[in-house]
Amino acid sequence: MVERIEDLNLPNAVITRLLKDALPDGANVSKEARSAIARAASVFVIFLTSTSTSLARKQNHKTITATNILDALKQLEFESFIDPLTKDLEAYRKVVKDKKDKAKKDTSGTENGTEKESENAA
Amino acid sequence: MASEDLFAEDFSEEIISELEQDYVQEADIVEQEDIGGKETEEDNVVEEESTTPDESVPVTTNTEEDQTQSSKTKTTNVSSEARLFQLPLTRVRNIMKLDPDLHIASNEAVFLVTRATELFIQSLGVESYTFTAQAKKKTVQKRDVDLAIAAVDSLMFLDGAMSF
Repeated sequence: MVERIEDLNLPNAVITRLLKDALPDGANVSKEARSAIARAASVFVIFLTSTSTSLARKQNHKTITATNILDALKQLEFESFIDPLTKDLEAYRKVVKDKKDKAKKDTSGTENGTEKESENAA
Repeated sequence: MASEDLFAEDFSEEIISELEQDYVQEADIVEQEDIGGKETEEDNVVEEESTTPDESVPVTTNTEEDQTQSSKTKTTNVSSEARLFQLPLTRVRNIMKLDPDLHIASNEAVFLVTRATELFIQSLGVESYTFTAQAKKKTVQKRDVDLAIAAVDSLMFLDGAMSF
């Protein structure tokens, strides 16, 4: 779980890279502005999560799903995120599926002890 | 479908860390394999550079140095495209767990929140930059971020939530 408060900050290097990709060439972001954006991002995660959990609870679901997140984004007026995220989700599902297929093939190896256990349990 | 989701949940953390590791490796592989595709990308990069007057870059006579520089930019381009996400999923999941009402978040949900946050960071950056540009500056200041939060409706939730 969370042990230090710094564990709730998102890594500065990644935020800098994301901003650099989005802003025109020659643009910079001051340290104070970056940490403000980083804090805003953490608040955004919490805000999006709580909206999604309340949507899931309305449907009597305990697990929040991809659909809950997309619905929550719509509700929070971040509609512009939905199309790119739907595409990303498809790509993510494909990668996970490929990984699972690969893991099934690898179960004979000694590396995947946990995978073996899971198959035995099933 | 539902049972599959639950099943996957048991190994959520493992799969996530595996994925995170794999992306780094996959990115490396793509870099090596994608030499053909890189050339077109390099062309794009060169075009971009030529259209923007970049005064800060001194004209180097050393061609070798130029080549290493351009190959560096290529590498970062390729790896950022090969990865599905850049922020650490585990960190995002930990922030999500602060919500006392959250029981379980599916891996897909964590992935989407991560990607949404990346888009959020970029759009907040772009919104802030409009105020930077208005002030005829190049460096985004805290003031610009505050102005963007005040100006954009969907960012209202940040008002007052920023001072923790």
